[in-house]
Amino acid sequence: MHRWRPCRPRHAAGLHGDRTEETIAKAVNSAVTRLKIERLYWRAGFGPRRADLDRLTPVGLSGAIDELLAPAKGPELEPGRGARVDGKAIDPENSYGHDVLWWLDRSVRARHQLVERMTLNLHDHFATSNSKVGNAKLMMLQYATLRKHSLGNFRTLTQALANDGAMQLWLDMSGSTKGSPNENFARELLELFTLGVNNGYTEKDIREAARAFTGVTYDYDKKSFGFNTQEHDGGMKTVFGKRGRFDAADIINMAIDHPGHAPYLCGKLWGYFSAQPCPPDALTRMVAAYRGSKNELRPVVRIILTHPAIYANLDKPDQVKPPVVYVAGMLRRLGRSVDRESWSWQLDEMGQRPFYPPNVSGWEYNESWLSTATIKSRFQAASSLIEKALQDGSVPKTQTPAQAIEAALKATGRPWTSARTKAGLHAYARSSVRGRDEEWEVKHYYTERQRVLRHLLLAGPDAQVS
Amino acid sequence: MALRARRGCEDWHRSHGALLEAGNSNLIPLPAAALDQGLAEFERTGGLTRRNALAGGIGLFAACIGGAGMSPRRLLDAAAAAAADDPNARTLVLIYLDGGNDGLNTLVPLNEPRYRELRKRIGIAPEATLGLPDTKDFGWNPALGGLKRLYDAGKVAVLPSVDFANPDQSHFNSAGYWRTGIVGQAPDRTGWLGRTLDVVGTPDNALQGISVTWGLDPVLISKRAAVATVFDPNDFGFYIPDVWEQDAYLEAYRAISQGGGSPALVAAQQAYTNSIQIRDRLKPLHVDEKNPLPPTPMEYPKESELGKGLKNLARMLSAGFGTRVAAMSAGGGYDTHDQQDEKHPKLLKDLGDSLEAWQADLEQRGLADKVLTVVWSEFGRRPEDNDSHGTDHGAGGLVLVVGNKANGGIRSEFPGLAKLDEDENLLVSTEFRTVYATLLESWLGVEAGRVLPGIDAKRLPIIR
Repeated sequence: MHRWRPCRPRHAAGLHGDRTEETIAKAVNSAVTRLKIERLYWRAGFGPRRADLDRLTPVGLSGAIDELLAPAKGPELEPGRGARVDGKAIDPENSYGHDVLWWLDRSVRARHQLVERMTLNLHDHFATSNSKVGNAKLMMLQYATLRKHSLGNFRTLTQALANDGAMQLWLDMSGSTKGSPNENFARELLELFTLGVNNGYTEKDIREAARAFTGVTYDYDKKSFGFNTQEHDGGMKTVFGKRGRFDAADIINMAIDHPGHAPYLCGKLWGYFSAQPCPPDALTRMVAAYRGSKNELRPVVRIILTHPAIYANLDKPDQVKPPVVYVAGMLRRLGRSVDRESWSWQLDEMGQRPFYPPNVSGWEYNESWLSTATIKSRFQAASSLIEKALQDGSVPKTQTPAQAIEAALKATGRPWTSARTKAGLHAYARSSVRGRDEEWEVKHYYTERQRVLRHLLLAGPDAQVS
Repeated sequence: MALRARRGCEDWHRSHGALLEAGNSNLIPLPAAALDQGLAEFERTGGLTRRNALAGGIGLFAACIGGAGMSPRRLLDAAAAAAADDPNARTLVLIYLDGGNDGLNTLVPLNEPRYRELRKRIGIAPEATLGLPDTKDFGWNPALGGLKRLYDAGKVAVLPSVDFANPDQSHFNSAGYWRTGIVGQAPDRTGWLGRTLDVVGTPDNALQGISVTWGLDPVLISKRAAVATVFDPNDFGFYIPDVWEQDAYLEAYRAISQGGGSPALVAAQQAYTNSIQIRDRLKPLHVDEKNPLPPTPMEYPKESELGKGLKNLARMLSAGFGTRVAAMSAGGGYDTHDQQDEKHPKLLKDLGDSLEAWQADLEQRGLADKVLTVVWSEFGRRPEDNDSHGTDHGAGGLVLVVGNKANGGIRSEFPGLAKLDEDENLLVSTEFRTVYATLLESWLGVEAGRVLPGIDAKRLPIIR
């Protein structure tokens, strides 16, 4: 049987022989696969660890995607050290800031990286802030709901969130009465959660829909929700041109069955994974898969993750890492755990404090993450991780600049670096120890060089993007 | 080119720093007329020599703003911002009273019979208020001695009921609208001062817009103009633990923050370039025990975040960074749902005293004619007080315009308490966008429509 062989320049075969060439091709393929999986883990998880890449590169990209989409059963988190502050386990429900540490810890240790990342995406989509809810327990219940459905059915999720305490407080569904219906939830349901701004509904639709969400009560003293049928408006309503005695579930179903919903949601989901506009072919396929599966998220995410656009320009990363991804990613690649309270306010300074999105439309992504203040906080984040990692005197004078860079790369999990950064690292590696020959100088400055090289790799501009 | 520009910068900083120490920062002339010549020379030589840079004046300034590696186009932009540093350039400072300040107990209406009835728990007795020289209709809260003195000197324009039509009493919505300058859904998250800089500013001089806060004040969010977030110029460092050679690693950071790439990568590079530039430019302002600050002409209130912020801002403004706009918050606490009778006077005292010290500071620095300060809050409070000795969310917030160039006096209609809106709140006599439009056109020289979409032609007599 005739075996297909890749075409190649003649002289190559002559020079190296087939085996060498195949070895090279294999090595190149495997290096490219590794880069693709690295990108996959930044976009669909919280950054790759070396062990993930070593394990998945032989499996290949599609195998890695399959694994993310159909995670093995078992515990949600990796064993090992959970978040601890001052030697004690964190207390997300009662200690200030610990809710944020709790979320960060889960991101670092999640075995099901895509499930966890989608939970963060959905937290952005259904953005609810504890600044108004004021109840960490309710926020964590909402987290559990988001996570449960993060690759599941969007209709089921939306229905669940209409019955979610944090959401009912956040968008004033609780306390909304027949006599004076609050429009907040109805408005955001259409504007943000299902259809998009001005995408096929009217102000009158909002007012009518709001009547369906009346009757929920909340007792602030007992912290309990109820339903007062007297205050629920069960009357005739006209929404999207249809008339009926619609209740809350009906309105959500109508919004999800609205022709504008699938393209809006699929396009928005694409945006979480890519900074590039959604390619029309991807949108067409996503909408078909979403409708065909009756609102399942998993097939939509599969289309995104398998799309070649996600892996284009591997040497030109174009998405800014959201702060949680940036910090969790550093911790993961350094093999560190959440062990300091400061991450809570540091994430806040970087502009992303889980459980406290800035408003109901969630966070602003990509370049919006970066300002002169947030970049300083991102710099500071790496400084906190560098601290005490190396003792003066731990680097010998014989270490060459190239060896110093190699050591820093190894210690930081070999992140992507641009040509400019490579040149900058070399220049610094040479100049930083020039003329430092005294014994005390060697002891300090060779270690200082290593600290700075690691810092540049962890927090430099290249490290902000994936 | 890069090396030369940097050496020039050190000189500039040193000379400028020396001038600062001498207490006179207006000595470096940056005449707009020198702009063309200086930059033409720059573009011709493709770089700066110390001589032509000094001759051009502006060129060196521009190079120092941009740091190494800026394109001539960028330098032109940066120089345009530097031109704003000429003696006639003006600065607008916003102070936000977070939570909804109670205007009715700030400037107490004295000829409103309903005031006593509505404020039966926390009303202020007319005889306790501080009088205004030009009207018997109002009296200041007794804690506002500092503000009263400024008002008496003709330096405070007061707008008693500013809001938007049909306010919904949500902090979130109201503050959002005031910040974006747009009522309702905004097309993006830019703030109205951020958009102002998008019109008159540059992508490079981050200190043209200073957020005197720890996190960027949303009014300053821009599309392309660089802005700076600096609460304390003494605390804008980039530290790596156990690393001594800060200049060396910042040089490395600067070097790897060029190169270009995707828009995301460029944004990261720009953020580093801008923030390291801010750090460099703030360095001459560094104070410590050996190099302490001279006393201010009037002491800022102690333990006051607002006072500290204003004191810091005064230093940055007199350093001549070409700052056009700045924003800060007076610290939370104006959301006085309970015990307002205890809390509110303390807040007002802090506000009035801080503003008085600030004006004196600006005066001594020769900046008082160039800086206008506007105090705003997302809404006023319900005229009727509640059972907890507090007030709930209302409408119609009080706006103060403070400065030598403010047109002192009560400058918009007070709607009174005889007739309230359907939620029993003050009627709104003035839209906040009208205030913004006036500030843009009469103070910053920016056509209001370029910043405030759909703005009408109404303006207010708040600036002399």
